[in-house]
Amino acid sequence: MSMSRRNFIKRAAIAGLAASVTVSGAAKASAALNSSDEYASIIDLTHCDGCRDVDIPRCVSACRTRNEDRFPQPEKPIQDYWPQTKHEDWSDKQDLTDRLTPYNWTYVQHLQVEHEGQTHAIHVPRRCLHCDNPPCASLCPFGVNEKMPQGPVIINPDGCFGGAKCRDVCPWEIPQRQAGVGLYLKAAPKYAGGGVMYKCDMCYDLIQQGQKPACVSVCPNNALGFGKKDDIRQYALQWARDNQGYLYGETENGGTSTFYLSSVPFAAIHQAIMEQETDGKPGKPGMPVGISNMLNEPAGMAKAFLLAPAAGLLGAGLSVYKIMTGADEHDYSEA
Amino acid sequence: MTILRHKWQVRLVHWITALSIFLLFFTGFGQMPVYKRYMVDQLPGLSWSSNYASTLHLHYYAAMVLIFISTYYLLYLVLTRETDILPRKGDFKETMIIFLSMVGLAREPENNKYLAEQRLAFAVTAFSVAALIITGLIKVLKNLPGSSVPLPVSFWATQVHNIFTVILLVSVVAHLLAFLIKDNRSLFPSMFTGRISLDYARHRHSLWIKGMQSDDELGDK
Repeated sequence: MSMSRRNFIKRAAIAGLAASVTVSGAAKASAALNSSDEYASIIDLTHCDGCRDVDIPRCVSACRTRNEDRFPQPEKPIQDYWPQTKHEDWSDKQDLTDRLTPYNWTYVQHLQVEHEGQTHAIHVPRRCLHCDNPPCASLCPFGVNEKMPQGPVIINPDGCFGGAKCRDVCPWEIPQRQAGVGLYLKAAPKYAGGGVMYKCDMCYDLIQQGQKPACVSVCPNNALGFGKKDDIRQYALQWARDNQGYLYGETENGGTSTFYLSSVPFAAIHQAIMEQETDGKPGKPGMPVGISNMLNEPAGMAKAFLLAPAAGLLGAGLSVYKIMTGADEHDYSEA
Repeated sequence: MTILRHKWQVRLVHWITALSIFLLFFTGFGQMPVYKRYMVDQLPGLSWSSNYASTLHLHYYAAMVLIFISTYYLLYLVLTRETDILPRKGDFKETMIIFLSMVGLAREPENNKYLAEQRLAFAVTAFSVAALIITGLIKVLKNLPGSSVPLPVSFWATQVHNIFTVILLVSVVAHLLAFLIKDNRSLFPSMFTGRISLDYARHRHSLWIKGMQSDDELGDK
C-alpha cells in the first residue's frame, strides 16, 4: 500500500482544513467568556469593636437569623464515614458562635495583637471571602459550587455530596460539613459521601434585590461596607495609601471580593490567630498573608494544551509521510 | 511464519494511550475526595494521592499526553485510511454471533483484521476518549483565572466527564477480560512485536488474509 507524495499532500490538506474550522469555533466560544458588575465588601478592622456590649456580635446574630431556615436538619442516627470511625455532626452544637460551623457562617475573632511594642485589641469578622478564582468552586467534583457573576461563591446544598474537597482546597478551610443531610443519604451513606457543606453566600437573595447582606446592614460602627467591587477596591487602595494601612483579600488567593482594612499588619494578626484562636480543626481560620491560588500553576500549564495537539499532528504527519513514501517499508519484513 | 498486524505507530499509540489513561483514571479519581477517606494515602509511596494539587497537576500532564497521542492517531487514520478498526454496517449483529460462539451456541463468523466486536469496542473507547477530552478542556477553561464558563456548561461538562469516565473504565476492564478467552491470547504478543502467527491469522482472520493483494505484506519468517 505504498502511497505517493501527492496523495499524502492531498490528504494532509483536507485534514488541515477540517482542523482549522474546529479550532476557530473553539476560539469564538472562549472569547464569549467574560463578565463584570461584581459586588464586594469592606471589613474595616479599625472600626470593628467586636460588639463587646452584647453576647453575640450583631453581624453574627443577623447572619444566623437570616439563614436559620437553611440550617441542616440531619436524620439521626448518623453513620460514620466508613472505613473511618468518625463523622462531622454539629447539630448538638448549634449555639456555637465562636467558630465557623454548618450553623454559624460568620464569627468574630477577638485578638490581642502585638505590633511595634504595643498591644492592640483587634476584632476580625470571619467568613468566606468569595474569591475571584475560587478553587472550591472550580474543583468541586460534582459541579455544584459556583462563582456567581455578582461575586458570591455559592454551594448548592441539593447537589452537594459532602466530600469536603472545597474545605481542603480553601486556604482558610471555610466551608463546614454537616453529616446526615443531603444527597449522599440516597446512595450509600455508610460508604460514600459525608453530608453537605455550608458557608456564607453573601446573602445572594438580598443582593439580587439590590439590598446589602444581613451582616453589613446591622453593623452599628460602619465596620462592614458593601458595594460595586470597582468602587470598593478603589476605596480600599486609597484608604491604605492615606492611612499607611494594610489590606487583606485584595491579592490573597489570587484576589477576593472581600477587602479587610487594618492599621496593624496582617502578618501580626495571623500570628495572633495562630497563638490565641486556632485549635487545629477547621472553622477558626488564620490569615496567611500573600497566599497564592492553587489554580495558578494549572493555569500556566493550560497553555501547553495547545501544544499537545500540534505536536500530535506534526508527529503523525511525519510518520505517515514515511509510510506513504515507502521509507517505513522495513516494518513489513520485520520478524 | 508471522504477519504484521500492528505497525509500530499503532503500538506506540496503544501503549501511550494506555499509560496516560491509567494515570488519568488514578489522578481523576483523586479529584474526588476518596484517597484520604479510604486511606489510600496511607499506603507506602502514595501519601501524595490525597493532595489535590499534586493529582491535578499530574492529571493535566497525562491529559496533554492523551491529547497528543489522540491527535496523532486521528491524523494517522485520516492520512493512511487504515479503516480496518472502524465499525461497519452489520457489526452489531455480527458481535452478537461472536458472543454466542464464545458459549458454543454459534459458529464464529469469518473475521477481517479485527473482529466486529473489536471494531465496536474501539468505537465506544474512541468516542469516550473524545468526550472526555472535550469536557476536560471545558473544565480546564473553567479553572482559568478570570474565566466565567457558564454554570450549566461547566455543570454538564462535569457530569458528562464523570459518566464517560465510568464508560471508559468499563470498556478498559472488558478489554482486559477479553484475555480470559483462550483464542484471544495469541494476539497479546503482537501488542509488543506487532506480529501474529500466519497460521493463527489464516484461522481467525481469514477475510483479512484473503483480502491481501500480494505476499508483499506477509512477513518472511
